[in-house]
Amino acid sequence: MLSSLERVQAPPRPADLEEEAFEAWNASFELNRDVWGEVLEENLDRLARGSYSLHWTNTEFAHWGTRTKPSPRGMTFTDINRSKAYGTIPDRAQARNLSPRGSVRAPYEDRMPVIEEYTLLDKYELWADNVVTLYEEAKARQWNSTTDIPWAELEPVSEELELAACQLATFLTEVEFVAGDFPARWIYKIPADYYEVKNFLTSQMMDEARHTEVFRKRALAGGGGLLHASPAFEWTMKSVLESPTHSSGTYLLNVLGEGFVLSIFRAGEFLAKTHTDREIFRRCMQDEARHVAYGTLELKAYLENHPEPEAAMERMHRFADLGENIMLTSFVDPCALEPMAVLMGGSIKDIDEGMDGVGFLWTTLREEYLQRCDRAGFDRRDRCQIPENLPGSC
Amino acid sequence: MTAVAFPSVEWFDVLGKLMEQQRDVHVRTGPIDCVAQFTVFEATPDGASQHIQVTFEEFSVINVEEVGEQDVTRADFVMEADLDTWQEMIESIAVGNGRPDLDHSLNRLSLPGTPIRVWSDDPLRRDLFFRFNQSLQEFVNASSEITTVFPAGR
Repeated sequence: MLSSLERVQAPPRPADLEEEAFEAWNASFELNRDVWGEVLEENLDRLARGSYSLHWTNTEFAHWGTRTKPSPRGMTFTDINRSKAYGTIPDRAQARNLSPRGSVRAPYEDRMPVIEEYTLLDKYELWADNVVTLYEEAKARQWNSTTDIPWAELEPVSEELELAACQLATFLTEVEFVAGDFPARWIYKIPADYYEVKNFLTSQMMDEARHTEVFRKRALAGGGGLLHASPAFEWTMKSVLESPTHSSGTYLLNVLGEGFVLSIFRAGEFLAKTHTDREIFRRCMQDEARHVAYGTLELKAYLENHPEPEAAMERMHRFADLGENIMLTSFVDPCALEPMAVLMGGSIKDIDEGMDGVGFLWTTLREEYLQRCDRAGFDRRDRCQIPENLPGSC
Repeated sequence: MTAVAFPSVEWFDVLGKLMEQQRDVHVRTGPIDCVAQFTVFEATPDGASQHIQVTFEEFSVINVEEVGEQDVTRADFVMEADLDTWQEMIESIAVGNGRPDLDHSLNRLSLPGTPIRVWSDDPLRRDLFFRFNQSLQEFVNASSEITTVFPAGR
């Protein structure tokens, strides 16, 4: 039998890749030397002449004289976006570079580079009307898994319960950072005109980093350790990470996947056998609810503002038909379901009783998912691939 | 220790004042912006329900008012339960010196949809209960600072 390392094709040697990457970078910038080199020459000449440009003092095309006022809670994005000049979100990005929205950039357009990776250029592909609020909320509700969790209060429980707690923590350690990697893939494709979305997605990454951290710590803190990874989870996460568009992936991750995890975090208080676990789940729940809220209104904005709304709707439905099935692979995996059932039942002996509780949670989770889809104008009630009841239960 | 009747506007007002006194706790937890409705079934001797809406803004309660059933849409979400459930929760918080036992947190009591039911016509507004859950819990946890008086015979 081949080892897992032998089964995968060997990647090119890092040294070769490195050489290739250096050569490509050099070639690219040499090709454009006439543009950036001209800028460099002008600047060097000016300095050599002992002259100053001071062109940046010209406010003709700037919005000079703007004075935004902070609200009682400080200077928020909402406050600075009250200025029409700075707060108008364009339907299509005006620049494929890092030049700030509202800055004087038109005179320099011809000499600006294009960031080829900035491809998410339309507002409908990423905007959600609650994104500014959620970003401010995310910043204000950060917490620290090192100091905000009462680790010293983690009390010993039976080995069966610790096994279940550790398997659940392993599952959550494995799946949580997909919601960090997914935004990471897209943040780099969003131009600066939509900086609010970039910033919110950055906060989501920080949230997920903290979740991965706290569940890893939980698994190691109670005398157990990490238990089993799962192919089901990996396939689910691959489907998210490789989603064809930002909006489809955001739906799959934030509305369906995070909605499911939100329910687990809610149930976490039900499952918790110690105040430590309860605190972990409750804090994670708050973070997760923000991500679900962004996903719901992003999906709504996408479906409402797509230039071909009917085609977009049908495409998203077809995507969801398969996506829900792939997600279901994880929802019914024993590495997620069974530890929850053991924690709910109180022991492996009482797993059936616990499974009844999980079955109830399943119904709630599915209904909450469908409600969020309804809210987004995405009616999945007749097409939903997630069974109404937990398979195997009545 | 102040004795205050539950359910009453005064009881929630006092919790609002305690929120100001414990501002550092709420600053650490994060701001809360929502209108939460606490509905108590069988709140009066004649079995009538009482609905109290609490408006949170940042780290404060800016309004507490008793409302009628028809005013429910003004609330982002409603937490409803019978008086016995609320009493049990408040007593658990008191016994735990400001922290309920594992079975009596707001989230724990509402997860199965009973004994506390959290609902809203809009799932996004309902989800505010999850987004601000720690703040809501700290808000009710402050009830351990007062003596809560329940209707006679309970």
